[in-house]
Amino acid sequence: MSRTVDINVKHVTRVEGHGNIVVRATDGVIEKNEWQVPEAPRYFEAMVVNRHYEDIQTIVSRICGICSVTHSLAAIKAVEDALDVQISQQTDKLRILTHYGEQIESHSLHVGYLVAPDLLGQKSVVPLAASHPDVVKTVIAIHKVGNAMMEKLAGRKTHPVRLVPGGFAMLPKASDLRELKAMLEAAIPEAKKLGEVVHSLAGALPDFSRDTEYVALVDGESYPFYHGQIGSTDIDKPVPVHDFEQVANEYVVAQSTAKWARWNRDSYCVGALARFNVNGDYLLPLAQETAKMFGLERGCANPFMNNVAQVVEIVHVMERSLQIIDELLTAGIQYERPDVQAKAGNGVGAVEAPRGILFHRYEFDDKGICTRANICIPTNQNHANIQKDFEAFVPQFIDREQDEVRLMMEMLVRSYDPCISCSTHFLNVEFV
Amino acid sequence: MVAPTVVIGLGNPMMTDEGIGVAIVERLQQSADLPDDVEVIDLGTGGLSVLHEIKGRSKVVFVDCAYMDATPATMRRFTPDEVRSAKLQTRLSLHEGDLLQTLELAKQLGDLPPEIVIFGIEPEQVTFNLGLSDVLKPRLDDYVAKICQELRCAKSF
Repeated sequence: MSRTVDINVKHVTRVEGHGNIVVRATDGVIEKNEWQVPEAPRYFEAMVVNRHYEDIQTIVSRICGICSVTHSLAAIKAVEDALDVQISQQTDKLRILTHYGEQIESHSLHVGYLVAPDLLGQKSVVPLAASHPDVVKTVIAIHKVGNAMMEKLAGRKTHPVRLVPGGFAMLPKASDLRELKAMLEAAIPEAKKLGEVVHSLAGALPDFSRDTEYVALVDGESYPFYHGQIGSTDIDKPVPVHDFEQVANEYVVAQSTAKWARWNRDSYCVGALARFNVNGDYLLPLAQETAKMFGLERGCANPFMNNVAQVVEIVHVMERSLQIIDELLTAGIQYERPDVQAKAGNGVGAVEAPRGILFHRYEFDDKGICTRANICIPTNQNHANIQKDFEAFVPQFIDREQDEVRLMMEMLVRSYDPCISCSTHFLNVEFV
Repeated sequence: MVAPTVVIGLGNPMMTDEGIGVAIVERLQQSADLPDDVEVIDLGTGGLSVLHEIKGRSKVVFVDCAYMDATPATMRRFTPDEVRSAKLQTRLSLHEGDLLQTLELAKQLGDLPPEIVIFGIEPEQVTFNLGLSDVLKPRLDDYVAKICQELRCAKSF
């Protein structure tokens, strides 16, 4: 009797925008092995065309509930680039701090809610909360700090309202910063605890490596999320963000209506592991120590280690946040008003979303009305790489039980922390 | 101290009627004479942030777009125990949130407030576009009035 594997993980929804895993094999011979993704984010670009530059960051913040600060910041940077707006050092630091809040929030959720259940043999975070309440409580405590940073600095936990072109619509008080400082100091031991938990379970992460091109922002002097040019493990000289379309060379494949991207190879990877591989030498001491505990070194090509790189980044941004808060408190918060004038122009904003490099480009007419928009999200840049990983990874275990094959593939996709359906959260209920 | 009662609007205004929860709480914040013990929050699609917002409250009122097999624009008031989720989840992404699952998690952690009420509004359309459909839009004041009734506002607007 022939032995078949037939996996079809599909998210049935009324709105497209989810990823599907499709594998078929007979007697160990793989007939189909695909990562399929329907397109979604392009619709958002149409929504900002014909809108005034002041409205854009608010609209794009709704693209995603988890990366709303990142989308706002990418938009604001693009607007400021197009309209030649200079910002103060204070604004720069406050934005970076807000952005760190989102990294903490998103990474903690990903590691705690999606990855930890896999490593602890649970189907989701709900049973995990019953079997390992301490782990879930640690994650929630860290998540709360990220949320508080966004609320104190950007005015809301999700979908920020104070981040505007030219600066901040409302500035935080010194007391807000002191409060955040105390929260962060208390959260660093929690982050270490999370690191230790993940470390104790890291043996359950599959041992799989595939030589990969990693792409991230680079500034040659720090571990940047908000500044820099486009760097890659394949090239020495970074590329200006204005040329991002030459990096994310989009192409069409039959299995996916979402476009794929390639640069120096057939695919590349963005996200925490990419940032670590490009900028790992610039991590702060506690984060360096955390990476060392896991044996994580630059050049790591195991996609599952993205989860570990996220833990390392949580520690790094907490350390750096404390430094920035001290700098801001020492200088004192200065009152300043955003000063932006409409003019015709074309601008690009590039920032590191938790799941990788994000690009926004806008064109404005002389009244400041947007005439063209292009948003290139990290997950779209990772799709081709997920497929290439499937092709190398699946043959290693296709002879195992179907459920095990499916779990391994799901774990691989989860390790990329994809943003494949960031648009809706409606309820779908049956009355009992 | 957090306000004992919180109204949380969920949804995405970029997805037509999916944004109804956000539209309702925005209107509620602008126009209703809310009791002092009530806080109103637009949480958008910040799914798991729900955990932090409900902790320590005595009553939580959610307002969200809901497929309930009802006529579009129908608003129904229900409690979590009256429904089960018909959502199929792959758990491949953090972005496929489900409010009922988040409430289940809060329960496991002992953080579930004693009273949870959900106002679900059946959408007419959920597509990529800003603003509500013509079917739901004229009903906005009715929806706000019903929430006000729940909150015992002095006057709705």
